[in-house]
Amino acid sequence: MSNPARDAVEPLLAAKEAALAEWLRAHGPVAIGYSGGVDSAFLAVAARETLGREGVLAIIGRSPSYPEQQWLAAREVALEFDVPVLELDTAELDDPRYAANPSDRCYFCKTELWGRVVPVAHARGFRTVADGTNADDRGDWRPGARAAGEHEVASPLAELGFTKSDIRLSSRARGIPTWEQPSSPCLASRLPYGTAVTLERLRQIERAEAALRALGVAGDLRVRYHEELARVELGAGELPKWLAADRAAAMRAAVCAAGFERVAIDLGGFRSGSLNVLHGVTR
Amino acid sequence: MSADAERGDRTARNATALAREIAALGVRCAVEARAGLALLLPVAESVAALEVPATRRTVVELARRFGFTHVAVELPKDRRTSSAPADATVLRD
Repeated sequence: MSNPARDAVEPLLAAKEAALAEWLRAHGPVAIGYSGGVDSAFLAVAARETLGREGVLAIIGRSPSYPEQQWLAAREVALEFDVPVLELDTAELDDPRYAANPSDRCYFCKTELWGRVVPVAHARGFRTVADGTNADDRGDWRPGARAAGEHEVASPLAELGFTKSDIRLSSRARGIPTWEQPSSPCLASRLPYGTAVTLERLRQIERAEAALRALGVAGDLRVRYHEELARVELGAGELPKWLAADRAAAMRAAVCAAGFERVAIDLGGFRSGSLNVLHGVTR
Repeated sequence: MSADAERGDRTARNATALAREIAALGVRCAVEARAGLALLLPVAESVAALEVPATRRTVVELARRFGFTHVAVELPKDRRTSSAPADATVLRD
């Protein structure tokens, strides 16, 4: 059956995909800052399709703020779509300006990331470095974008008007498993601004989220760090399930085993940039 | 009185008033105010009431009306016991 909304969107999306292929051909070979999230996975696969294996390199910056489960998933996608991967260690935690967790923390993180990725990419003959920033991201508080600009990192998805929804549709059409994956920002985003980012806290949050995934929490999930308290944000479909006595007890036990003393479920559910709202951060 | 103290008093009053309004929905709880977060410490039998979507929506709206940007319910250690005594207000930064 015809779906008028989809029929109207698809020609537009096809045009964006054609523009992306043209952009990649004009700027290749391309190295991509690759986390294995929805956006960078799509960009890496699209670049592989357009430029071939020699024309693309997906570069993963590994650090304690990058969850291990996501790293594993990123490698699986790259393997499945034959995208070459290079891994570099980044040391943003060693930068006191990052570790102090100011509201522009992402700027210092991305400065460290691109400061390592860009020279390596150029030395290997990749004349363009790109990231997966999309058109929706441009409305958010994203100080990391400033660091990308300073390192001349291109954002073709944003430039060509790809929204998150476009990227999910195009990913699904290619069979990229990330098409339905929730957004997955770095673990430091679970800490309120002004609360120091430490290795121990990042590990604690990572353990708690991994334990909740193992319990069966699906969709959007954030364990927000409030010292001894973990505030768990869940997607709308999941929230009521975990308020039931047996599941709530299991959730509490799992999160406490990760190192928290108290556990709460946010009744408003998952909100992207939730801690920005809590602490009144605006652009 | 300093601005911080005034703000603290206002937050305490809001937390107490919020607890009272939420009790009227059948959710007996104390409210721990942590900056913009209202943390509900429910008496054991009240958690089940929050499984109802309309009740949750109303609680979120009430919390916003009282100046909180977020509202969360603490999961009690044991549903047979309370997280905290009802009608108590707790303040934290």
